[in-house]
Amino acid sequence: MASMWKKNVGWLGTVAIAVVIVGCGGAPEVVPEPEPEPQVVDTRDEEAERAAREAEEARRLAAEEARRREAERNRVVSIINERVFFDFDRSDIRSDMESVLQRKVSVLREYPGITLRIEGNCDERGSNEYNLALGQRRAEAVRRYLLSYGLEAGRFTTISYGEERPLVRASNEDAWAQNRRDDFAIADYGRLDSGD
Amino acid sequence: MRTMVAKAVVLLAVALTFTTGRAVAQQPERDSIPTDVRVGILYQPSFRPGIVMPPISTGDELQDLADSARAIILRDLDYGDRFQVMRVGEDVPLEGPVNYGLWDQLGAVWLLVAAVEGSPASPILRLSLHDVVFKLLQDVQAFELPPVGHPDSRLALHRAADQVVAWATGSTGIAATKIAYVAEGTGGSEIYVVDSDGYGARRLSSDNTIALSPAWAPSGDRVAYMSYKGGDPAIYELSLNPGHSSLLVDLPGLDLTPAYSPDGRTLAFGSTVDGRTEIFTYDLTRRCCAERTTFARYSNSLSPTFAPDGKRIAFNSDRLGQLHIFVKDVPDGSPELVTPYIYDRSVHNAGPDWSPMGDRIAFHGWVQGTPQIFTVAPNGRGLRQLTQVGRNEDPSWAPDGRHVVFASSRDGSDGLWILDVVSGRIRRLVRGSDVRLPAWSGSLDSPSHFADESADSDVNNPQGAR
Repeated sequence: MASMWKKNVGWLGTVAIAVVIVGCGGAPEVVPEPEPEPQVVDTRDEEAERAAREAEEARRLAAEEARRREAERNRVVSIINERVFFDFDRSDIRSDMESVLQRKVSVLREYPGITLRIEGNCDERGSNEYNLALGQRRAEAVRRYLLSYGLEAGRFTTISYGEERPLVRASNEDAWAQNRRDDFAIADYGRLDSGD
Repeated sequence: MRTMVAKAVVLLAVALTFTTGRAVAQQPERDSIPTDVRVGILYQPSFRPGIVMPPISTGDELQDLADSARAIILRDLDYGDRFQVMRVGEDVPLEGPVNYGLWDQLGAVWLLVAAVEGSPASPILRLSLHDVVFKLLQDVQAFELPPVGHPDSRLALHRAADQVVAWATGSTGIAATKIAYVAEGTGGSEIYVVDSDGYGARRLSSDNTIALSPAWAPSGDRVAYMSYKGGDPAIYELSLNPGHSSLLVDLPGLDLTPAYSPDGRTLAFGSTVDGRTEIFTYDLTRRCCAERTTFARYSNSLSPTFAPDGKRIAFNSDRLGQLHIFVKDVPDGSPELVTPYIYDRSVHNAGPDWSPMGDRIAFHGWVQGTPQIFTVAPNGRGLRQLTQVGRNEDPSWAPDGRHVVFASSRDGSDGLWILDVVSGRIRRLVRGSDVRLPAWSGSLDSPSHFADESADSDVNNPQGAR
């Protein structure tokens, strides 16, 4: 098998030589020198690459900035959204809720464009109508707290939902404790949205 | 002869098959009542005179109307709790002159004889009430009814039933009345209305948000209520036919718990002052001039309800650190405590409603953390607990000052319930765990308008003929 392969190759080689000889016998074709272009091409590629790198870097920075801004936004929103809970039939600020409110005060100072709707809520136990009044007082209690730290009154509106918007629909102490609360709805995000 | 009649006539106390309420002998639970408050709770066993209404025979196309008229009137008389409705067997001789002796033997005190005449386009119901004991015709009247199948047919029959109550007892009937209430809606809650016999419940408001606290205008054609539909909660007014809602009054902050004065000229309601709630009055005739009438720094005043003379209101306030019912003159006058102050307890009395008779104020108060219905005189005397079972809230008086409707859980049978505060009889008006804040209308008697009733009114009718 191997010897047969060698034989074939030898034969093919003979034919190839013959063809070359015939070719030389005709008008010799001038093979043109290839253009020396690589130098220029190389420069352009590098610039594009740099531009691309820079664009990529810019994108990366922008993405990072967006991520940072998103994280900051999430931080601010989650602090604003932190609920404030109340004792039964009370509208005074519980001592364990002060830290929640202090965090709000600092982000509201940091972002003076943010405006809020403070929503007072109650558990289901009191009368439907009295709970509307109680919810209003709960919203007002938090508004007053924020104003007492020098925040501008125009940034806050209040509303009471009484017992009409429970967080937990159940009739037990845990549910009631969750439902006696102020919610916070951001009406204007200020520069959290304007991007500066 | 006597035994034959005795067989022929079946007398049953509260025997109508459609009667849903049962006489409930409520047992007092002394241990559930604060020991330092004297609370009356027992219902008096009251005598209800027997009334009998033989079937109406017309023998023509008015027979269906006659049958339903009798069924509606008998049920009204039963629900009014002033009579013991007696059933008559089919073979009682009804022809000829009234046999007072026979009815007397059977124990009837009143005999109501009815006839239906005229045509389907303008039927007439003729009622004659006989005093069986004194053997005389007490009164007689022909009632023009709307055409057969008209949406106001039932109301016209309810009015006839109320007339019978007035003839026999001189008292106001409650059949021709409606009850407005709150039930779940798509965006929270909506205002609904139902007839006094539980028939024809329908939604009145279409706000798709929170709607609460319906209150009837004395004219009975409008209901004030509070709604969040404008964003800022305000007082609106719904007309019944058609159900159209318009803004009544919107002060800054939360406006809540409207109540009309008995002359319909003033609206009292709660509104926000410095973050708390105070009561205001508003001039409905001039559509202006909201004036504050309560002045309690640091506390809430709300849920006003007018005395029948319109000169005083009862209202709810937490000014003593507990939630109590107060009474004061309007516009000026200092509040007087009506419900008992109980030192060192979580007292929660709310939802006052002044009886149209003026003598009692109904409200709900907590008994061991569960709301129960009470009544008390406007001077704070004679506190009386009316309910024991389940949660019972937000009572509203019928125009007879004898029945109250309230929201109750009744240990699982949630709904709106009607209680006769004299006998303790109770019946369910509307079923559902989401129904609340009922308001009972006054007597609805404007019989002149059935000719121009709009054809697209969505009031149901018993015959389904429209």
